[in-house]
Amino acid sequence: MVFIQLENQRKIHSMKPQFKISSLIVTLFAVALLVASFDEVFNPNPWTENEDYLFPRFLACGIALLSILLYFEKDISKKTSFKQLLPGLILIVIYVFVVKTVGFYVTSLIMFFSVVMIYHKREESTDFWRVCVVKLGVSVVFTVVLYLLFTELLNVYPPKGLFL
Amino acid sequence: MEYFVFLDYFSNVFTWYHLALLLGGTFAGIILGALPGLSPTMSVALLIPFTFHMEPASGLILLGAMYTATVAGGAISAILVNVPGAPANIATAMDGHKMAKQGKAKEALHYCFMSSFVGGIFGVIILIFFTPPLAEWSLKFGTTELFWIAILGITIIATIDSNSVVKGLLSGLFGLMLATVGDNPVLGVDRFVVTDHLTGGVNIVVGLIGLFAMPQVFNLMENYYKDKSEALSATGSSTLFQSFSYVFSRIKALSVGSLIGSLVGIIPGAGGQIAGLVAYDQTKKISDVQENYGKGEPEGIVAAESANNAMVGPSLIPLLTLSIPGSPTAAVLLGGLLIHGIFPGHEIFVAEQTKEVVWTFIDSLIVAQVFMLIIGLFLSRHSGWIMKVPDNYMAVSIFVLAVFGTYSIGNSYSDVLIMTALGTIMFFASKAGFSAVPVVLGIILGPIAENNFLLGKLIGGARYQGDWWLYFVRDGLNITLISICILSILYGVYSTRKSKKNT
Repeated sequence: MVFIQLENQRKIHSMKPQFKISSLIVTLFAVALLVASFDEVFNPNPWTENEDYLFPRFLACGIALLSILLYFEKDISKKTSFKQLLPGLILIVIYVFVVKTVGFYVTSLIMFFSVVMIYHKREESTDFWRVCVVKLGVSVVFTVVLYLLFTELLNVYPPKGLFL
Repeated sequence: MEYFVFLDYFSNVFTWYHLALLLGGTFAGIILGALPGLSPTMSVALLIPFTFHMEPASGLILLGAMYTATVAGGAISAILVNVPGAPANIATAMDGHKMAKQGKAKEALHYCFMSSFVGGIFGVIILIFFTPPLAEWSLKFGTTELFWIAILGITIIATIDSNSVVKGLLSGLFGLMLATVGDNPVLGVDRFVVTDHLTGGVNIVVGLIGLFAMPQVFNLMENYYKDKSEALSATGSSTLFQSFSYVFSRIKALSVGSLIGSLVGIIPGAGGQIAGLVAYDQTKKISDVQENYGKGEPEGIVAAESANNAMVGPSLIPLLTLSIPGSPTAAVLLGGLLIHGIFPGHEIFVAEQTKEVVWTFIDSLIVAQVFMLIIGLFLSRHSGWIMKVPDNYMAVSIFVLAVFGTYSIGNSYSDVLIMTALGTIMFFASKAGFSAVPVVLGIILGPIAENNFLLGKLIGGARYQGDWWLYFVRDGLNITLISICILSILYGVYSTRKSKKNT
């Protein structure tokens, strides 16, 4: 029974064979690590008896060895639906780079509102302005609660930029 | 050995502040556990930074309450939507959702929280009585044994938690590698600092949040437009007293569930999913109503739920004594212990300060079970609305909290960048079948493994005239630990092969 459950999970994962890009990335990563551990930029005396990079070298060898085995594994990659993911991913990247300059609370408020507006199901409501007002209201409430709870009550301060 | 030392610290739990934390943690835990998009592991990871500014005991009480409640709360969505809130509730869904379809959702939820309570209390009792002797035994561990323990922890989690042994081990090695990045205080060098942001290395909590929270943010966004099953309403005719007498009439299911849950909890890395499924399976085998299992048999819920909550306490036994978590969520809790300066091992039960923190935390888990029962029974009546929280709101809230939490750990913007980058990589890696748990364990156990490796090499070099590696493979305990590592890898290969044959 237990096995059947665990196996079923594995079956779900192993339905769509794809190009083994993951194996290639892992091998390149291992090689890069090994090279870096001998590189004089990181390690001034790579060929001497010093042990600074000894452990990472063992790990890199382990990763390289296992990455070879990875080529013999059945590929179980699941497809990513970039169409749905991309808007969110872009917003997250912008957020991370802007938050330091603009300030946490203002950026978060804009982020919250943008995400809930972009990820919008048709059946939610047909009245655009009503949806806008409701979502903006929720975003403001979320940010204000966050501010009161953490900054005012717990004295935890997030990144502060030009604004709050 | 003093077995009743835990009683001395009970009064610490009963302060208004700690009771309020327990109440808040349990309430939030049940709701977060019930939301199908959020795993208990992520919920606890996201909470850790906010406990950073609390006293160690208070922070751990909050984390413990959250851990207990999320495991039980996951049953709500398993029963009402047939989507387990956490992997631990897979077995609950088998009969629980069938009962809900028959209009007995209320009864199913009652059975759930009542058996979770019994299992949970049993688990904490096991934790209380088994931890001190095991902690004393851990004193026998020297440098090389500690190195192998760290490797063992990663190996076991890698083979159990992953769909492929190779990918599991690779994830573990990747975690170990991440732990070597940045400034190393023992060696006094900066390693792999490709950008200034990496100078401080990868903080454990930053890793935890990135690896557990960010992939869920992306998952929620990616699957936002997919159709989801509607939640059934929590209707039923049974009173609390009737449910109570039913659960306690199923002594066999309760005891098998609690016992198996506790045993699975002690096994490093196994977790609630295996506890629930094994207990369900074993109770079915000895049941008089075997044929009803899978068709809405309440006994199945009793077995599964008592088991997954019985797992919670014992999963902390290897954690508090050897730094090896008994479940993925316990791995996150280890991060919580470390940021409060509590390093697992025998010493924490000896030093007066840590002793008080640890026993207060363990005692609070008993009270957390009581809170979980009361709040769970109350919430189960109104649980339908929990499922209605839209995924887009959840995704952005998790993200904002993740950034806030990450930043607050060290007031460092670099941490936010590392967290986001790690989370994005993990999301795509999980698509290729890699798991986050071994990576996290690698980050946590990395310094223990490396420091003991270098120390062992030094001692071994002196003792065996240069053949330092001999020091790592001699002595009975080392050989036992290496054998368990190899056996767990072989078991992983065997079970993967078996599943492939059946595909």
